[in-house]
Amino acid sequence: MSGRFGFAPAEDRPIAYLDRIRSYYETLGYGKPYEWAHYVETPFAALGKPLAEARVALVTTAAPYQPGKGDQGPGAPYNAAAKFYSVYSGDSMSDPDLRISHIAIDRDHTTAEDIGSWFPLRELLAAAREGRIGEVAPRFHGAPTNRSHAATIEVDAPELLARCRGDGADAVVLAAN
Amino acid sequence: MCHQTVSLAARALEAAGIPTVVMGCARDIVEHAGVPRFLFSDFPLGNPAGRPHDPASQRATLALALRLLESAPGPNTTVRNPLAWSDDPSWKRDFSNIDLVPPEEIARRRAEFDRIKEVAKSRREEDAAAG
Repeated sequence: MSGRFGFAPAEDRPIAYLDRIRSYYETLGYGKPYEWAHYVETPFAALGKPLAEARVALVTTAAPYQPGKGDQGPGAPYNAAAKFYSVYSGDSMSDPDLRISHIAIDRDHTTAEDIGSWFPLRELLAAAREGRIGEVAPRFHGAPTNRSHAATIEVDAPELLARCRGDGADAVVLAAN
Repeated sequence: MCHQTVSLAARALEAAGIPTVVMGCARDIVEHAGVPRFLFSDFPLGNPAGRPHDPASQRATLALALRLLESAPGPNTTVRNPLAWSDDPSWKRDFSNIDLVPPEEIARRRAEFDRIKEVAKSRREEDAAAG
């Protein structure tokens, strides 16, 4: 904070990722900029029951640790070999070992050391124990991060929906990286 | 891509009647896509659920997401996590900031990205072959 009115520094605002990424790849010499998904209208479904009675599912973009697929962290460089291209599911009670080395996280300022900072299963289970939510859905689901809008919209999102429905989820928490 | 993927999945779930909340750190990407509920944490990418090795921040972050899930008045509701990554906001300068990349470094970055794309492509083909 500074000055008479306690204003924050001007640079202390959310990073403009769309602009940063566009400039970055243009300067690297790639042609037409990527067209990011953009909608003006957004669907909305109200929670149909008290949260304390709801079964809540978790969706993540993290990947299960894959031995033999190179360094997956903590502190790993970007590892495309650890990517996955199909929706997967895991047991919510299994204490899974999930990694984010296949994602363009901010490697200058974070190292992916603590799964609790990107996969909130532990806290979601605590919320269920404490009665804040009804229960955690039996499975969590992994969403492939894909440049292809067709793959995400036509294949992966319907698959995630089918799995969440199959588990009787009343609501879904999705954690992006 | 990660924030876009999750945003599109949230939209599909919501359109089918299942309420969602997205937790993430890239505000513009999520709001550009348009999601019903978004808990924005102004943290480096890779920390949508709180600060590492800080269980209290992870607990508070999920608690906010759950409050948002039950109380958003309508779509495109963003709540900003009041927690800060650091007292010093200078970390925000660095991510994919081409202005900070020396000119002699550009070709190397391009080659590295091309290499990554090749690895990703063969990985995708392996997955497709595996069925």
